[in-house]
Amino acid sequence: MKNFTHLRVASGYSFKYGTAHASQLVERAAEFEMSALALTDIDTMAGAIRFTKSCEASGIAPILGINLSFIQKKYRVTLLAQGGELSSLYRLVTEINSNNSESLLTYSLLERFSQYSRNLLILHGPESQLAQVIASRKNHEALSIFNATRELFADQALECVSHLIRGDGTLSTSYAARTLSFARDNQIPAVLSNAVRMLDRSDGPVADVLDAARKLVPLSSKNVNRQNSEAYFKSSSEMSYLADEISRLAGERDGRLLLATTADWAKRATLSPRKDVGIGEIHLPDAQSLGSKNQSELASQLRSRCEAGLSRRYVGAKSVVAASRLEEELSAIRALGYESYFLTVADITDMSRERGIRVAARGSGAGSLICHVLGISGVEPITHGLLMERFCSPLRGELPDIDIDVESARRLEIYDAIFEKYGQRCATVSMVETYRSRHAIRDVGAALGISPMEIDLIAKSMPHIRASNIPKALANLPELKHLNLDTPILKMAIELAGRLDSLPRHLSMHPCAIVLADQGLGDYAPQQINASGYPMLQFDKDDVEAIGLLKLDVLGVRMQSAISYTLSEIERIEGAPLDIDAISLDDKKTFDLIKSTRTLGIFQIESPGQRELVGKFAPSTFNDLIIDISLFRPGPVKSDMITPFLATRHGLRIRPRIHEDLEDILSETEGVVVFHEQVIRIISTMTGITLAEADEKRRQLGDIANQEAFCDWFYPVAVARGYTNLVVNEVWEILRAFASFGFCKAHAAAFALPTYQSSWLKTHHTAAFLAGVLTHEPGMYPKRVILDEARQWGIKLAPIDVNLSDATYRVEKTSDVVRAPYLAPNVASSGEVLELPDARGFAIRMSLSDIDGIDSKEVMSIISGRPYLDLADFVYRSGASRPTTESLLMVGGFDNLHKLSTSEINRRDLLLHLQDLYRLAGSKRTTGQSQMTFELQPPSLEPSGLPDITASEQVKSEIDILGMDISSHLLEFYGDFLNKIGAVRSSDLIKHRSGTSVLVAGVKVALQTPPVRSGRRVMFLTIDDGFGCNDITFFEDKQADFATVLRNSWLFLVRGEIRRTGPRGISLLGTGAWELAISHEKWRNLAVYGASGL
Amino acid sequence: MGARVLAPEGEPIEFIYNGHKFHIHAIVSRWRESGGWWNRISDGKNRVNEENIFDDGARAIWRVEAAPVGALATFEIELDEVTKTWLIRPTSRPA
Repeated sequence: MKNFTHLRVASGYSFKYGTAHASQLVERAAEFEMSALALTDIDTMAGAIRFTKSCEASGIAPILGINLSFIQKKYRVTLLAQGGELSSLYRLVTEINSNNSESLLTYSLLERFSQYSRNLLILHGPESQLAQVIASRKNHEALSIFNATRELFADQALECVSHLIRGDGTLSTSYAARTLSFARDNQIPAVLSNAVRMLDRSDGPVADVLDAARKLVPLSSKNVNRQNSEAYFKSSSEMSYLADEISRLAGERDGRLLLATTADWAKRATLSPRKDVGIGEIHLPDAQSLGSKNQSELASQLRSRCEAGLSRRYVGAKSVVAASRLEEELSAIRALGYESYFLTVADITDMSRERGIRVAARGSGAGSLICHVLGISGVEPITHGLLMERFCSPLRGELPDIDIDVESARRLEIYDAIFEKYGQRCATVSMVETYRSRHAIRDVGAALGISPMEIDLIAKSMPHIRASNIPKALANLPELKHLNLDTPILKMAIELAGRLDSLPRHLSMHPCAIVLADQGLGDYAPQQINASGYPMLQFDKDDVEAIGLLKLDVLGVRMQSAISYTLSEIERIEGAPLDIDAISLDDKKTFDLIKSTRTLGIFQIESPGQRELVGKFAPSTFNDLIIDISLFRPGPVKSDMITPFLATRHGLRIRPRIHEDLEDILSETEGVVVFHEQVIRIISTMTGITLAEADEKRRQLGDIANQEAFCDWFYPVAVARGYTNLVVNEVWEILRAFASFGFCKAHAAAFALPTYQSSWLKTHHTAAFLAGVLTHEPGMYPKRVILDEARQWGIKLAPIDVNLSDATYRVEKTSDVVRAPYLAPNVASSGEVLELPDARGFAIRMSLSDIDGIDSKEVMSIISGRPYLDLADFVYRSGASRPTTESLLMVGGFDNLHKLSTSEINRRDLLLHLQDLYRLAGSKRTTGQSQMTFELQPPSLEPSGLPDITASEQVKSEIDILGMDISSHLLEFYGDFLNKIGAVRSSDLIKHRSGTSVLVAGVKVALQTPPVRSGRRVMFLTIDDGFGCNDITFFEDKQADFATVLRNSWLFLVRGEIRRTGPRGISLLGTGAWELAISHEKWRNLAVYGASGL
Repeated sequence: MGARVLAPEGEPIEFIYNGHKFHIHAIVSRWRESGGWWNRISDGKNRVNEENIFDDGARAIWRVEAAPVGALATFEIELDEVTKTWLIRPTSRPA
């Protein structure tokens, strides 16, 4: 029998409806030896490219379509693109989505865009208005519906579907037969489909769970429409059997005609993955978009811009080297035809700078001199040994990837500028959110009506893993041990959650990708308008790469915003601008600060792990920073590349020299291969091939299957060039070991630049920098830790003041010197004395935005009303709400205004006064005035004789209202207790021997449970005690007892064993953790009742 | 214990009802039903088989015209696909 083609198939991209992945459906079609297959998802074409790629790989001809609402929301039809006309379908879908958000194809849209619809096929299936009118035997009306759209489509057919439903309603065999009879009576083509939504009959329960999740209802006979499981992917013979049944019931001899028409329609809709879908094409921005007429004008535009940039950036001997490298790079770009790519990216970085937005390149693009001279990348590639070939070469059949980092706070300004300039040529990219463990458990739990608390407990403790790994994770989570997971309902829930694994749930906007192409972008991909109002392709980043669209990642980096803010504060305070991009990269004081490990707030090197590493490493050049960033990744850490590197660096090991030809390449990293660029150079040096060829070989090394082929090639070639077997062996061992752990140096260098810049700013403008960090929060630490850091450098924390505080943290000069600056101990191994910043004489003024519940409008209104004469004036004019005003008062916002420090009035009196003010205003308001006014004198402010609020009440208000302690550190109230029990300050830990068991206390800074491949869980707790941070590691054996405390508490008493890891490196192995307040309470009781010990 | 039905290729052709052997002359209609698996989880009636841990109550039903020697009557023959047992109901309802 002839093979059948399913013309109506919903995959998982029919969100919360289809139960199968597009690739599974294609696989099944291949198993059934079908020659073509359609994908017709509900309301979206998001699966089109993945589906087409699967089809191409399996030798199946793809058919693309969409199932959407037609005329009215409740009626649905399926549109198919005819061969050669896919762009018409894309364009129509885009137009529908631009005009309404519910994918509703109306008559008026159809008439407006008939130039597209006339190239499309339409199937009127069981859910269409047409079929439903036929079912109610209104044949005349049916015919007029059919005729109304006759001219608007290339062709129309009736779609017969039988899901073997009992009786004669929708999806029953007799309904299908009536549809067929009508088609035959009126000479309308009829096709057969199975309206597929699942792979197997046994997927029915998964479909039910998805239906329940989509409709947000629990499973019950009332809520579930599914009557059986027939909407599965049937084989050709099953479909042929159905065709016979339906046709016979409609009075025909067999299903032959129905099947023949179906095959005929399939043929008309068959697409070519290359010619139609555009797999493997390239669509770069066109010359016109860059002000050139053609490709050769574009090439000369690129050349002249590069040459201009070169002469600005290079002088003397270096410029000769640079000029010849530029020639090489330009000729490679010429050969690839990528001119418009580079010019477009340069155009966008220029647009950002024109708007005063900081921008930096990231990724391998920093290896290209063209990127540097065009101003895309700030890192100088030649000095740092960065290679263009790692980024882009004629040997590689894929578009190079440039990402740019911009100020996070102004990222959308750049989006707007790009859309304004490139219009139809650009769009954002989508991102498919899939079911992972947490969502799967939640949706299944809700569908099955499991108690929300139980589901919540499981979902929250679930690490971010694939849903299919849930059973393993559940078995390993100590805090779930007491939960009985063997009840039938939980077993079922876990099984179902596993079945939802990695199914798409939702299409959202990719957080940073923009596609830039030519005028024809609308022909290459369907679009919709996303929640932020930007046009968005329904394709994700892999899809757009497959069809050759240039994707630019515009990443919002908070550190760039923080740097920008720091610079503006420096200019405001010092009266002169600072060009941070022009500072020299070898400032000793900056590296002293890094070596001291006081790196909180600095880009990339502030985490506990990085502080440990810089403590051991003691980086002293920009190149060291690049190495540091490259070493601090899971691969090098796991394979222990750091130990031999540091041993050689600190002179504890003499590294073996393999061959003098390789010395230049290996010496910068002490013989350890850290960078991709080194691998490329080694291969090129030893075999004589070009760098571009060597990069292709390097890529081969990354795949274990290809390593052997590489080895077979490498040995004879290297030996033939005169290297001894010993040398070749040794190099091969290094290459093989390194293959999976190397890092692109250009990428690390691009990261090292903001790392250095932020270190430099922290060193020379500590207060301004920390104000920037507080304002934009670029890092991992909460604000209160940064505030503490500021205190330790001698910066005064100035309280909120209604007349001085701004929407951001402001730097002030002050004569008030609060505490001696922190003195870091010497670096023990070298005896070197570090020169650390002294930030005394500066204050950071707390910002109004931190008041709990305040909104930006209120902040602006308060600021615009300044200065205020007194509390009454503030209440009268500021526009602040009463809760905000009370909060401001409680954190001392009016202290200065009312000179509380020198008057008899205290904050309690102010509070009473505030109540009076509102009482008076309230009585006025009843007279119909909306504006708050005082016709009479405001009530007078007098001392009431009540005691002022205490220091601890003050801190409590600060924590409640601002979320941080400003007047004193939280732990100060436990000082007596902690001294008595002998708790150790973090700054004193270094004085203790390795292996000692100690007690430490502090406020939670961070609790991290990074995913570990073994599935075991390690919990990293960082606490701060006002003298610095402690990092404590809890392994699995301690988690059953302490995981809950670690997760839920804020103030800790921790017992741990000291582990020395280097000259300044120290960490604690946790053996116990308790809530500080509870320990304190117990201790007090013990003290009272005379028992001893904790 | 279900009824005895002869169905060599999945489709019933003969069955024994009330001790008499019936031959099927025509299938009047057939349909399939399933659902309600979630109700069987907690009441302990979930019948598990090797393909599936969900008892979705899947069943296939044929309405047939069948006759012992001489007489013609209409029956519904149901295959419970979980337990693979057959059930036979005489029916007077037209298909």
